[in-house]
Amino acid sequence: MHNKRMLLLVLLMVAAAVLSACAVPVAAPAAPAAEAPAEDAAAAEAAPTEPPAEEAVVLDAPNVLTIWADNTRAPVLSDLGTQFEAEYGIPVVVVEKGFGDIRDDLKVAGPAGEGPDIVIGAHDWLGELVENGLLAEIELGAAADQFLPAAVQAFAYDGALYGLPYATENVAFVYNPELVETVPATWSELTALAAELESAGVVSQAFIRQEGDPYHFFPIQTAFGGYVFGLTETGYDPSDVGIDSEGSIAAITWLDEMYKAGHLKAGSAVDYDIMHAAFENGDAAMMITGPWALPRIRESGVPYAVANIPGEVQEAQPFLGVQGFMISAFSNDQLLAQTFLQEFVATQEAMQAIFDADPRPSAFLPVREAIADSDLAAFAAAGANGLAMPAIPEMSAVWAAWGDAVVLVSQQSEAPDAAFSNAAEQIRAAIAGN
Amino acid sequence: MRTSLRVGGAKAPPRPSVYPPLALLLRAVPLALLDVGVIWLLSGLLRDGAYALAIAISVVTLLLNLIFLRPQLSPLQWIAPSLALLGVLVVYPVFSTLYTAFTNYGDGHLLTKQVAIQQLEKQVYLPEGAPVFAWTAYVSADNQYLLWLHSADLGATYIARPGEAVVAAEGEPPPEIDGYRQLSKAERLRHTQNLVALEFGSPPDLFRVSERQIGVAAQYQQRYSYDSSQDLLIDRAEGRHYRPVEGTFTAEDGSTLRPGFRVAIGLDNFNRLLTTPALRGPFVSVFLWTILFAALSVLITFALGLFLAVMFDVPEMPLRRPLRSLLLIPYAIPAFISVPIWVGLLNPQYGVVSGMLADWFGAAPPWFSNPYWAKVGVLLIQLWLGFPYMFVIATGALQSLPADVYEAAEIDGASPVQAFWTITLPLLMITMGPLLVASFAYNFNNFVVIDLFNKGGPPISGTISPVGHTDILVTYTYRIAFSSGRGADLGYAAAITVAIFLILVVITYFQFRYTNMLEERSENV
Repeated sequence: MHNKRMLLLVLLMVAAAVLSACAVPVAAPAAPAAEAPAEDAAAAEAAPTEPPAEEAVVLDAPNVLTIWADNTRAPVLSDLGTQFEAEYGIPVVVVEKGFGDIRDDLKVAGPAGEGPDIVIGAHDWLGELVENGLLAEIELGAAADQFLPAAVQAFAYDGALYGLPYATENVAFVYNPELVETVPATWSELTALAAELESAGVVSQAFIRQEGDPYHFFPIQTAFGGYVFGLTETGYDPSDVGIDSEGSIAAITWLDEMYKAGHLKAGSAVDYDIMHAAFENGDAAMMITGPWALPRIRESGVPYAVANIPGEVQEAQPFLGVQGFMISAFSNDQLLAQTFLQEFVATQEAMQAIFDADPRPSAFLPVREAIADSDLAAFAAAGANGLAMPAIPEMSAVWAAWGDAVVLVSQQSEAPDAAFSNAAEQIRAAIAGN
Repeated sequence: MRTSLRVGGAKAPPRPSVYPPLALLLRAVPLALLDVGVIWLLSGLLRDGAYALAIAISVVTLLLNLIFLRPQLSPLQWIAPSLALLGVLVVYPVFSTLYTAFTNYGDGHLLTKQVAIQQLEKQVYLPEGAPVFAWTAYVSADNQYLLWLHSADLGATYIARPGEAVVAAEGEPPPEIDGYRQLSKAERLRHTQNLVALEFGSPPDLFRVSERQIGVAAQYQQRYSYDSSQDLLIDRAEGRHYRPVEGTFTAEDGSTLRPGFRVAIGLDNFNRLLTTPALRGPFVSVFLWTILFAALSVLITFALGLFLAVMFDVPEMPLRRPLRSLLLIPYAIPAFISVPIWVGLLNPQYGVVSGMLADWFGAAPPWFSNPYWAKVGVLLIQLWLGFPYMFVIATGALQSLPADVYEAAEIDGASPVQAFWTITLPLLMITMGPLLVASFAYNFNNFVVIDLFNKGGPPISGTISPVGHTDILVTYTYRIAFSSGRGADLGYAAAITVAIFLILVVITYFQFRYTNMLEERSENV
């Protein structure tokens, strides 16, 4: 009796302690410290980043390169790692993690000295990771000019480069070619086309859009000359908020007119799934969506084509999201990590393998230009002039205010210029630290 | 009540002051195992610098040891496991949150000061005009290194060893120099960690291998050095001095260095919370809606749950058991699944429910764009999610009501409705009152339903900070804390949590006083 209860108690205690260690944000997760006696722990505490003393060199005890990657990239990197080990005798350990977990785990494991040397991630994590001192600057090496300049630009933060890009993604204009004969070149043409299709009874709603999501509205905003943050030579300028600029207000006014004319249904709360269902059923003929939706559109069997997003006073520029490799500032051997990236990842074969594992437009020009899938190539073309999604921390103040303003107009609860002016004021107030 | 405490309280036999040896052994062995486990855990925690958690766990473990080894404390052993879990899983996080509320912990201030200084001291710079060399590494039999340096710009070549003046050389790097052999590329990569850590040559000509550029060495200098006596960080490249100001190294001209570090900042987070215009703006309406939302959620789920419980308490009800089980289904499905399904069903243009309503009444309510209908919609979803819980509790509580009271009521000629209002409800409130209070507190912070339904929308127009008509305090403050334009500001978020906690404490205190009142009244029934 006693023993059983006590055993249970012991188990509970350990479980509780481990759980709480993981649950409390200020504490780093409990590490397997079985092979680290107390003295070693104390020594490591004093100087965790010191390399071993030079006398202690052992020729055949090579370092290990640790990479955190998501489940689609991990197998490719494991293969590259095997080649690397065969060539240089240095083992490459690829740890598979959820894409989003990589960022959060790096914030805990990096400073604790248990983090990876290399992570994969998205460029809009830069603000968070660089401000926290978690990333080391990176070099592209000999292949530098073979990367898409916009993708490289996206990984620059405060004038320094922190990532080696491998893929880009952006939204494009997707339409049903049986219903739409010629792709509208401007949003005004789209309004006219919508009126024509709807009055002819071809389709009940010609153009459908996600109501609550400013990300998909951004290309319309840029087509009318609007912007979110002003772009300077060193990146986005948080003191120049463009939500209430002339072009942005022209874009939201166009949207307002679409609702007023009944081409879009006010308050219909269309989300990603509803938008796609309507397009795939043939209830709608045009939408803005990303390459991640290609599999489901193809599966539905609906006729579709991918085109550039209509412009207006200028060409539409969608947000560009870029994925790439980054090096942890807490890596014990940054030069090794740099060498792996520059010599093993920035190559035609590696970039092709990454593309094949998960087809999205490559950031490596020789692979990008050779995309055989015409739809994917069309997505890449639509993002050729894309603007990197701002990675500065101030962007966190933008999403809610901007999205709310677009929703207010979509619900016809507020005049377009008032909605965007107020959103801009909200953003400025939040950035000013209220 | 008071007297019943002593009933059956026969005096326990006197306890021994020390356990007999066998009993002691049976206690000591598992305790020793526990202590070993905890010590193993502590070594990891101390190494990671999680001192507060380490102290909390040590205190809890010490108390456990005391309780199980001292016979005087033995009655406590029955609740010791739950006390220990309470301490580690509830009390510690509460204090940890409280402490965080007084710090600047969050994006930009993630590291400790010690680690931030280490990271800054690792940075190097190349003085202007300093030449750059390509290096070739050599190693001796006793693992000493030397570098062959060549600069195409200068047309100069050197041999550099750690601690010795550099020597000029010429030509191509030979396979061997003075017993040092040239490293192959593979070997070089395996030695990068050692090579990067060394300084080659003697002052003033000290060369280092670049950590960033492959095969490049130059006279890199350490950029920042920390003077602990003055608490000052010196930028050697520009001769600037940085002092720590609220967790950021700041120069006199206001320029700052990354990364910042964690530091206690007193009441700043609370000041910021009290002075933010967001509080002066829509706070009052959000607060009122929060109370209304929590109170109505409890009221309607309780009403429906109780109604169904009373209905199914009637033995003549056909299919009682299967129907009772079926009614539990909404409770068994997680809100993460059922709320999005409801959102789809209610969609004004494509939703099935809205389509049905439109067929019957000519128009479906604008669930997501009209402030009032959005509130009705989220309450209906709350009703769907919450009534089974109330139903189960009420069913159980009904079983315990004394039958004789009802017989008496029947004899006195009371109708079933009268009996419900005067007997059933007051008696039920004794057991269910505290649960209703708990349910109120839970719904007061019901982030999941609000966020999944419409993210707090529809938005209120013209406010100082973004807010929606169905936002409750916790979703609203979440918006404030994480859309501040500074990334995740955990210290500020913790301060907000503490503020909500205090509000909830006050409300709950009055609610418990009210339920106590009910209880006292029912004692006179």
